[in-house]
Amino acid sequence: MAEKVKITINGHEYEAEKDQTILEVARANGIYIPTLCYLKNVNEIGACRMCVVEIEGHSHLFPSCNTKVWEGMAVRTDSEKVKLSRQFVLQLMLAHHTVRCLSCSKSGDCDLQKLAVELELPTVEANPYEADTAKLPARTDNPFLAYYPELCIGCQRCVSVCSRRVGNGVLNASKIGTRTYIEAPFGPDWKNTDCELCGNCASVCPTGALVAKNMGKYQTGNVNRVLTTCPHCATGCQFYLMVKDNTIVDVHPADGPSNKGLLCVKGRFGSFNFVHSPDRLRHPLIKNRETGKFEQATWDEALNLIAEKFGKIKSEYGADALAGFACSRAPNEDCYMLQKMVRCAFGTNNVDNCARVCHSATVAGLAMTLGSGAMTNPIADITEDVDLILLVGSNPEEAHPVIGMQIRQAVSKGTHLIVVDPRKIRLSREADIHIRLKPGTNVAFANGMINIIISEGLADEKFISERTEGFEALKEMVKDYTPEKVAEICHIDADQLREAARMYATAKKAPIIYCLGVTEHSSGTEGVMSLSNLAMVVGKLGRSGCGVNPLRGQNNVQGACDMGALPGDFPGYQKVTNESVVEKFEKAWNVKLSRKPGLHATDVFPAAVRKEVRGLFIFGEDPVVSDPDQGHVIKALESLDFLVVCDLFKTRTAEYADVILPGTSYAEKEGTFSNTERRVQRVRKAVTVEGEMRLDTDIFTDLMNRMGYPQPYLRADEIMDEIASLTPSFGGISHKRLDAGESLQWPCPDKNHPGTPILHVGKFTRGLGLLRPIPYRASQELPDDEYPFILMTGRILYHYNAMAMTGRTKGLVEKAGASFIEVNTEDAARLGIAEGDRVKLSSRRGSIVTTARVGDRVSVGETWMPFHFADGFANVLTNAALDEYARIPEYKVCAIKMEKAAE
Amino acid sequence: MYKKQELKNTQRSKLLNSFLTTFQKRVLANPPGVCCISTHIAYLRTARSQTCGKCVPCAKGLEQLEKMMQKILDGSADMDLYVDMLWLAQTIKDTADCAIGYEAAYMVLANIKNFRDEYLYHIEHHKCQANVSVKVPCMYNCPANVNIPGYIALIGAERYADAINLIREDNPFPTACAFVCERPCELQCRRKLIDSAINIRGLKKFAVDQIPVDVVSTPPRNVPTGKKIAVVGGGPSGLTCAYFLARMGHSVVIYEAKEKLGGMLRYGIPNYRLPKDRLDQDIRALLAVGGIEVRCNSPIGTEITAEQLEKEYDAVYLSIGAQKGRVIPIKNYDNPNVASAVEMLDRIGHGDLPDFTGKNVVVIGGGNVAMDCARSAIRCGAASVTLAVRERQVDMTALPSEIQGAIEEGVELMTMYAPSEIRIDENGDVVGLITKPQITGHYDEHTGLPSVRDADKEPYEIPCDIIFMAIGQAIVSEPFAAYGVSPRGTLMTDSTTAIKDHPGVFAGGDCVSGPATAIMAIGAGKVAAANIDEYLGFHHAYRLNIEIPEVKSNMRSHYGRVNLTEKSARERKKSFCPVENSMSHEEAMQECSKCLRCDVFGSGTMKGGLL
Repeated sequence: MAEKVKITINGHEYEAEKDQTILEVARANGIYIPTLCYLKNVNEIGACRMCVVEIEGHSHLFPSCNTKVWEGMAVRTDSEKVKLSRQFVLQLMLAHHTVRCLSCSKSGDCDLQKLAVELELPTVEANPYEADTAKLPARTDNPFLAYYPELCIGCQRCVSVCSRRVGNGVLNASKIGTRTYIEAPFGPDWKNTDCELCGNCASVCPTGALVAKNMGKYQTGNVNRVLTTCPHCATGCQFYLMVKDNTIVDVHPADGPSNKGLLCVKGRFGSFNFVHSPDRLRHPLIKNRETGKFEQATWDEALNLIAEKFGKIKSEYGADALAGFACSRAPNEDCYMLQKMVRCAFGTNNVDNCARVCHSATVAGLAMTLGSGAMTNPIADITEDVDLILLVGSNPEEAHPVIGMQIRQAVSKGTHLIVVDPRKIRLSREADIHIRLKPGTNVAFANGMINIIISEGLADEKFISERTEGFEALKEMVKDYTPEKVAEICHIDADQLREAARMYATAKKAPIIYCLGVTEHSSGTEGVMSLSNLAMVVGKLGRSGCGVNPLRGQNNVQGACDMGALPGDFPGYQKVTNESVVEKFEKAWNVKLSRKPGLHATDVFPAAVRKEVRGLFIFGEDPVVSDPDQGHVIKALESLDFLVVCDLFKTRTAEYADVILPGTSYAEKEGTFSNTERRVQRVRKAVTVEGEMRLDTDIFTDLMNRMGYPQPYLRADEIMDEIASLTPSFGGISHKRLDAGESLQWPCPDKNHPGTPILHVGKFTRGLGLLRPIPYRASQELPDDEYPFILMTGRILYHYNAMAMTGRTKGLVEKAGASFIEVNTEDAARLGIAEGDRVKLSSRRGSIVTTARVGDRVSVGETWMPFHFADGFANVLTNAALDEYARIPEYKVCAIKMEKAAE
Repeated sequence: MYKKQELKNTQRSKLLNSFLTTFQKRVLANPPGVCCISTHIAYLRTARSQTCGKCVPCAKGLEQLEKMMQKILDGSADMDLYVDMLWLAQTIKDTADCAIGYEAAYMVLANIKNFRDEYLYHIEHHKCQANVSVKVPCMYNCPANVNIPGYIALIGAERYADAINLIREDNPFPTACAFVCERPCELQCRRKLIDSAINIRGLKKFAVDQIPVDVVSTPPRNVPTGKKIAVVGGGPSGLTCAYFLARMGHSVVIYEAKEKLGGMLRYGIPNYRLPKDRLDQDIRALLAVGGIEVRCNSPIGTEITAEQLEKEYDAVYLSIGAQKGRVIPIKNYDNPNVASAVEMLDRIGHGDLPDFTGKNVVVIGGGNVAMDCARSAIRCGAASVTLAVRERQVDMTALPSEIQGAIEEGVELMTMYAPSEIRIDENGDVVGLITKPQITGHYDEHTGLPSVRDADKEPYEIPCDIIFMAIGQAIVSEPFAAYGVSPRGTLMTDSTTAIKDHPGVFAGGDCVSGPATAIMAIGAGKVAAANIDEYLGFHHAYRLNIEIPEVKSNMRSHYGRVNLTEKSARERKKSFCPVENSMSHEEAMQECSKCLRCDVFGSGTMKGGLL
């Protein structure tokens, strides 16, 4: 507990903590002190002097924002001297601020304006101070952001946010003589700067100087603010949709538990244009089998046709000839209803979601070793106040930008960082150690770490003996993984591995954070389990600042799994092989359920080719783009008897459908998303888009009824109540609690339970943690003479997966709009390939042409490609080699050859 | 955020530091007579240039302050603006974050307070006060207003006799000043804008070394006026006054208490700094003007009183100096082996060299007299000489060159020790000085130096046999008490050296200013002579017409300053022979060629632009 001191403010005595500032004490006690440059913990530089107060016994004034209280301090916040000083600084600022409120997008939401009113400033003309107007040019070339120097008051909030919170540091204060302005990288060269376009700077500007261009479309006072959850990655950022006349015009960050007021470029600028996109599907479409063209249909026609075709397949080939894919972008309530439709109306467990191709290995692996396949610790817990971060196969700055920002902040505050990644990602430049291992060798790496930890006596023997089982077998197995042997397998330095092991083992608080670099391998589940072994051997589980932390991919991929959109699990990971569980659901749903685990999504395509699956319902997925071996996926879709796609847009996959149903986006419905840290957060309806689109839950309900399963229409909150009633880990979660302001992380078994931020405290969900010996296996397709390069695939900051959302925001496409491949300089020289050359890439599965980016981000013999872009789909090349446990494909390793493309 | 660490650009910072040194020189060479508000605004602008731009009061407020001050400077401000400006400065001082801001505003407030008349004059009259105009720095800063560019030019033309006579037009002590002048003329020498000040004293020394001044015939005396003036005290001030009065044709009687003329130049400054034979050259030359009667061994109050002087003479000039050494009445201060430095130097001035062989001497004090005393003690064979100084070395009032000279000669400098007690043994002999260690503290408003106080440390004893106290001099003003004495013991005059309510009685030199420099005393004597002449109803002009060589252009390339070298310390400490060497002909000519001739270029040719 901090030491207490007594101070008086305006004659009243208050108790305060010794390290509090005057401003904090005043605010805590409801005493108003105006501020301008102040941003708590970010910008406490005392620049504007608006918050000055008098302290008895001192002739000069003190800025309350960064003056700590002391015993007996007597403060006056309301004296004439204070008021005059505040007017004075405001007048000085206004002398440099071109007062053009009529044409300023911040008018009505401007702190200067607000303070001018508050401090009863006379008219602009009566300002005793004037300054020569600076002739600095506005910077407005950036598609999202603009800077108007004539409105800038030099408070440096933007600079501080960029460097201290975003951790990018591209904004700098600059001077012309004695004037301060901001060197905003929004000029003609904006594309070539390191600016990540996150717009957090614009969110904190107190005036109209540094603004998001969207703000020009409205005035803050005239819009509805709808608090909701970002639809991109699984960080679960909270933001407001700014709605004007039933149209979303902008996004403003909210102070959510995982984003703390920050957003990334996708959330800030790419979250709403697609909602109003003119190419939204607005009517059901049925493919004319003769012409191959889609024709507009009524809902009745479409739904009846589906019910008829699926009914026919079910009666002719059995329920298991049907399958349904849930959507990891859709709310929990939608996913729940979809799996309910597949299980109750289709009558099969052939339901899955696209976690299959990203983190199914996590779900399976951690469930086996710990008993719960989810991130163990909250984001804040593993990025604030930790000693070391072991970042394995994760590039959060691009894939989970707001988490990336928080890691950058941690590193800049002194947290050590070990990056384990084949690529030189940006964070590796700031890492103490970058273990640049060969793709596909994570298991060997982890075993090597464990070998060193055991042999050097760094293992947590108490933890191992009290909380785990299987240690002896693990110890025996890792004996072979000497640092030298692992160094050879992974192409790394043995000493570096030793140092990493020692650093990780001896750090007090050290989370493992990992992502798809671990899971998307034919040994993905084994990689996950190896990391859980590593954490358990040093006792870094079940406590703050530690854990095994997968960063889940999509906004609700955690939720889609939680909701039972998995072939072997009912909601809440209740197994379909557990008879009592099945009986519970049969009773609740009043239907006979299949006890046979269904097909994994990745197994559905081969099954379709074999005609074992004949009818498929795809909800909001685009496997043609996102799944490996595109040729094979297309072949499978063409083999189906009947394909239904329910989506916002006519995707590549939808081209192969027999019926396309127009669904609704996250901005048009109520519901919840579960983010990567198991936090269930609300999604709220902001707009109604013109057209015949329907709530997806209603579509599923209609189809269930038409296929003979009686299902009443339910609102989203009613669906959540049903989920809670059947899912122990969701037992206490309801829209009502969330709307009342609670933030809940499952497990939350009952209405009074506050949720569970950290898993496995005191006891693993499984009971004892399982240390499972995992020997290293090489990737399935290794380079050879014919296909000499390893190809890895991944994401970039500016786009999300198949680009259905981000591709509809012009500025994002302008910033990054075309496919490319990263090639090492040595390889490029050998092949005569230069930066920007067009290259032809081929694997055993297909060929594409793309553009070469030559450098040292990848090692010799390795290449890397983003998979978003239609002008060169990486997934034409990738290998659908599947993991044994989770059936996850090996996106991260396949063999290709590369040649200069003919002009 | 990651950035490769880089070495600082040292070349750049070197260049910048070099520029700042130049900048500093420009500030130091600020010519006398510049409008003080324009200097203040230059300071403000410099302060503003240092803003980091973070805080509004400093980054934006100082700009506004500068604008307001510019209006005052331009004469376009009114009293409302003046009041606003005060308020603005006060508010910046109260709200600024760091010293860049609040110190700038504080200086504005302090300047307005100290130069209020100038600010108000600008506002009321829309112009500078009448006396504001740029002067020739060396001439203006010389208390005797010697035509320095002129005599430098004459030396450059090898016309040494003319140079000596040109000096004597304003200062009859060319030789003494060539040895001991503290050279205020060099302070703002315009040459500092280019490299550094001309070595003016060195050149003067070169001139008097070429021809002894008593060989150069003294300018002729005017025909007798019949007026008779008494000068009390035959030091530099009295002799200067007597010389100019005599030249004007008046008759002068000098009453000198000691056996020889020269005052502190003879009895205070040791021979190694100013050899007595060289001083005698000056005195011989000035007495050669004629009309001066010298009465040595004639203190006032014995044979004749001040009252009688006033009655018997047409006018009286009091230049009795500050002859009495002060002492600190600490325990045992009255021991025979404890004396004031003034007493000790006086004894040596009389030719009575003490023998300190085997003795340990402590000198208390940090001024030039303390240095003279310590360096003399070394020459008298002391086994050790220790200076006990209460303040830090940088705060000592002695010239840095004197401190350095003392240290070179083996004087031990102990700073931050204040005397508290003198310890004696059973025989009554001094055995040590007990001191209290000091700590430096806040700045004293009057001296502009940090004050010192007793530190929380154990007393420290300096073992010694003899102690001299050099802590200041007092004026023996009792015989003149009727003219009024200030609390400091000085005689009080107006700026024309006249004593109030006693027409015909004038005073100047150390007895008015307190212990000061020779050239200030000479300046006072010169001013007094002119005013006595006016008082007697005359307005004598007495100038020789010495033609000063013309110049064609300035030598502008950067040159190092020729400094005077000294004899080796080992040699120096053996005797009272002069320590300083003279310039060579080559050095003198180079130094002369560097003079920018401000009497001819710049303000010098304008009306009122010289002085």
